[in-house]
Amino acid sequence: MIRPSGLAIYAGLYLAFLYVPVLFLPLFSFNDGTIVAFPIKGWTLEWYRQLGDQDTLIQALLNSLLVGVVTASLSTSMGLFAARAYVRYRFKGKEASEGLVMLPLVIPGIIVASSMLVLFISIGIKPSLTAIILGHTFLALPFAVSIMKSAFDDFDASLEEAAFDLGSSVVETFRRVTLPIVAPGIVASLLVTFTVSFDEFVLAFFLSGNQPTLPVYIWSQIRFPAKLPNTLALGSLLLLASVFLLVVAEYFRRRSIKSLAKG
Amino acid sequence: MAPKNIIQLQGLEKRFGKFQAVTNLNLDLLEGEFFSLLGPSGCGKTTALRMIAGFQEPSAGKVFIDGQDMAQIPANKRPTNMVFQSYAIFPHLNVGNNVAYGLRNRGLSKSEIDTRVREALDMVQLGGLQARGAGELSGGQRQRVALARALVMRPKVLLLDEPLSALDKKLREQMQFEMRQLQQDLGITFVMVTHDQYEAMTMSDRIGVMFDGRLVQVDTPQTLYAKPINRTVASFIGEMNFLPAQVAGSTDTTLRVSVPGFGTLNIDCNPNVSSSGTSIDVGIRPEQLEISVQKPEGYDGTVRGHVRNVAFYGENVHYHVGVDGIDQAIAASVPNYFHTVDHQAGDAVWLGVQNASVIDLGQNQIETQ
Repeated sequence: MIRPSGLAIYAGLYLAFLYVPVLFLPLFSFNDGTIVAFPIKGWTLEWYRQLGDQDTLIQALLNSLLVGVVTASLSTSMGLFAARAYVRYRFKGKEASEGLVMLPLVIPGIIVASSMLVLFISIGIKPSLTAIILGHTFLALPFAVSIMKSAFDDFDASLEEAAFDLGSSVVETFRRVTLPIVAPGIVASLLVTFTVSFDEFVLAFFLSGNQPTLPVYIWSQIRFPAKLPNTLALGSLLLLASVFLLVVAEYFRRRSIKSLAKG
Repeated sequence: MAPKNIIQLQGLEKRFGKFQAVTNLNLDLLEGEFFSLLGPSGCGKTTALRMIAGFQEPSAGKVFIDGQDMAQIPANKRPTNMVFQSYAIFPHLNVGNNVAYGLRNRGLSKSEIDTRVREALDMVQLGGLQARGAGELSGGQRQRVALARALVMRPKVLLLDEPLSALDKKLREQMQFEMRQLQQDLGITFVMVTHDQYEAMTMSDRIGVMFDGRLVQVDTPQTLYAKPINRTVASFIGEMNFLPAQVAGSTDTTLRVSVPGFGTLNIDCNPNVSSSGTSIDVGIRPEQLEISVQKPEGYDGTVRGHVRNVAFYGENVHYHVGVDGIDQAIAASVPNYFHTVDHQAGDAVWLGVQNASVIDLGQNQIETQ
C-alpha cells in the first residue's frame, strides 16, 4: 500500500497554489453575471461575443501582434548568431558576455522599464511601439540565446566543415547546412520570444505612450467593473494562445534535438 | 617516369597558444600513394591533416598541393576533399543529395550530377540508395556515403580522418580491404590519419609515425616493422621484446653484441639509427623466437627459462618466459598449427633466436629500475 509521503503532499499543494488561480479565469469568463464570485449564476458565451465589437481592443491586439512578431524576429536572429559564437568559438570575454546576455532574466522589470524610459526620451525615441519593440527585444534575447545554444550544442561542427570542404562559401554553408539543421530551434525561439513579448506588461506600460499593447489595454479595462467579464474572456483566450504557442515551441525544440541525435 | 610529388609540406608548424601541436613537419607525398599518418592521440596527426585540408592555418611553414602554394587558398578552393571522423553526413539531406552537395557548388547540369552521383554510389556499393534518409543509415553505410560524397568531387588528394574508428571490428577489416582496393582502382592519393597500427599497415604504401608533434619515421610498413628508428616506434608498431646489449665490436654493416642470457650475437646495423656508444637496445619480435623443451639446434643464440604465463589468442599462443638476469619476461609467439598448447606455466623451456631477427635500436633508452 502506498501512503502519500510528505513530499507528495507538498508537491500537490505547490501545484494547486500555482494553477488553481489561473483556472478561475476561464471559469468566470463563462459566468452569466458581472460579479466575480460563487455561486456561478449560469453559463454564457456573451462575453466572448462582445470582444469582437471593441475597436480599441482590436487595435491593442494588432499592436501586440506587431510588437511580438518584430521582437521575435529581432531577438531570434541576434540569438542565433550569438549562440553559434558561444558554442563554436573560444574568445576573450566570452563568459562575461554570456553572463551579460542572461542578465535581463534577473534585473527587476520596473528598473529596466524606468531606465529605458529615461534613456529613450533622452535620445529622442518617444514612447511608442518602436520603444516597446526595443525593450522587448532586450527582454527576449536571453530566451532566444539559450534556445539557440541548445540547438547548436549537439550540432557536429564538422558538418559545416564538410560543406566548406565540398566547395561552399561561408554564406552558402550557413544557408544550405547550418540554417536547415537549426531550423526547429529557430521556430522554437520565434514562438517563445513572441510569447514573452505578447504577455509582457511592465515595459509596455512604461513605453507605450498612446499605443497600448493588449496587456496594457487589459489593465486599463480592469478599473471598470462592468468590463471585467470581457477582460476575463480576453485573458482566457490569451492563456490558451500562450500555452498553445509554448507547447508547439517545445515540440520543435525536441524535434531539433532528436533530428541531431539521429543525424 | 618516377611518380611526381602531389603534396609537399615544408617546415610546417602549428601552435595553439603555448601548446606546440606540430613541429617542423617536412614531408613529400607521391601521386597515387596511400599514405598514413600514424601516432597516439594528441600527437598532432589530425592537426597536420587539417592544415593540408585548409581548416587550420599553419603557424609557420608551407603546404604545396600539386606544386601550388596553398597559403592564400581556403579549404573550399583546394583540390582536396575530406572524410571526417564523425562522417558529417548532412542530417537534413538524403543519400543522393548528400553525395550531390559538392557537385551543385560547381554548377554542373542536373543530368551530369545525377550520373556522377549514381557512379559514386555504385563505387561504394550503395547503388540505388539515393532516396534513403540520412537517419536511416547504418554505421558502415554512413562511412560509404562520406567516401562517395568526397570521391564524387574527383579530388587530387583524399584526406581521411580516422575513417574507420567508429566501426566495429569485422566491418572495419572489410572496409580496410575495400578502401585499399578503391584507392588502387582510382589512383587517387589517399592521406589517412589513424592511431591503429594494423589499419595503417594493411592499407598503406607508406606510413609516417608521429610522436609529440614530430614526424619520427617515414617508411613502408615492412621497413617500419623490421627496422624501426628507435624504441618508441618499435613499441608502437607490433609487439617487441626489448633487451639491453653491450657492443663488443663492429664493422660497417654489422655489430657484435652481447645480450644477457643469449650470449654473443652478430647483428646487422640498423641504417635508420645513429648507433653510438657501447650500450644499445636490441629488439626481438615474439614470433621470431623459437620455444622448445629441448635446446633448439641451429640457432645463433639460446637461453634457458621458465614459462611464467600463457596467453591463448586463437590464431597463436603467447608464452611469457622468465629468464635469470632479465627483469621483463620475454614473449614468444607460436602459431596455433595443431590446436595444442605445448607448454604450461612453470615448465622449463629453451628460447632460440637467429642473428637476423635481432633488431638494432640504437643507443640504450631502457630506464634503469
